[in-house]
Amino acid sequence: MEIAVIGNSEFILGFRLAGIRKTYAAENDEKLIQFITGALDDAEVGILVLNSKDMERVPRRLQVTLENSVKPTVIAIGGEEGGASMREKIKRSVGVDLWK
Amino acid sequence: MALRDIKPTRSELIALKRRIALSERGYKILKMKRDGLILEFFKILEQAKDSRGELLAKYRRAVETMAFANTIEGAIGVKSAAFSVKEVPQIDLKSKNIMGVVVPEIESSKVKKSLVDRGYGVLGTTSAIDETALAFEELVEAIIESAEIETTMKRLLEEIESTKRRVNALEFKVIPELTEARDFIKMRLDEMEREELFRLKKIKARSV
Repeated sequence: MEIAVIGNSEFILGFRLAGIRKTYAAENDEKLIQFITGALDDAEVGILVLNSKDMERVPRRLQVTLENSVKPTVIAIGGEEGGASMREKIKRSVGVDLWK
Repeated sequence: MALRDIKPTRSELIALKRRIALSERGYKILKMKRDGLILEFFKILEQAKDSRGELLAKYRRAVETMAFANTIEGAIGVKSAAFSVKEVPQIDLKSKNIMGVVVPEIESSKVKKSLVDRGYGVLGTTSAIDETALAFEELVEAIIESAEIETTMKRLLEEIESTKRRVNALEFKVIPELTEARDFIKMRLDEMEREELFRLKKIKARSV
């Protein structure tokens, strides 16, 4: 399985340097959504890496799908608060806010 | 179960007692499972916090070195080096079982490469490119690690939630209703016995 990276051209360039082939340059919102849905359907993608700024730009519905997706696992990097959704989940399941 | 649907018979009482015993046993086991899952979750939580911090630090470093390389080599230089990298990092998904929850175990290969294996010309590029490549390779490793941990956390949380629901349903809904029904049948049977006794006494008094 492989890792896929979606983001602007600057973001994905570094990952290309690390050898990742499935990098998609999304310059506008439509392209972004198109690439994300494509990556979710791709059986070869095990981990999907997104910029957290892009993550905020996609529609809420898709965001929820991404957050709950296990295969591929979606990781958003770059943001300070990476675990906002995780925090909510922990609160709901355990009943106490344990994050930080 | 509404009380009026219950037939106050002895066989019903025996069946109810059995169901109560079974529910209580299930309740105890599920409660233990829930506690066990929460303990596992605490272990993972610590790891998750660490890996998040590490991921952020590595991302910042990678972006920094990238900016540095862009300044020295120019955007085209970096791009051409990036397109010549051939070795693709591969990940392998295996599964592990934590208390009945299937969680993934991700193994990676070919993430960190030696200078020669990277594919771009060593002579034609500066060390800034090497550093950037190294920083991003480290970042990818951190991403793989935190992907594993986060998926494990998601799965555990889902399982904790459903187990908690089951425990609560048994504790506050199923068991109280069953005991209520049992008490109702008991009282009804007692009442019927008293009626019977009274009737017998009446008949006896008349026949004398």
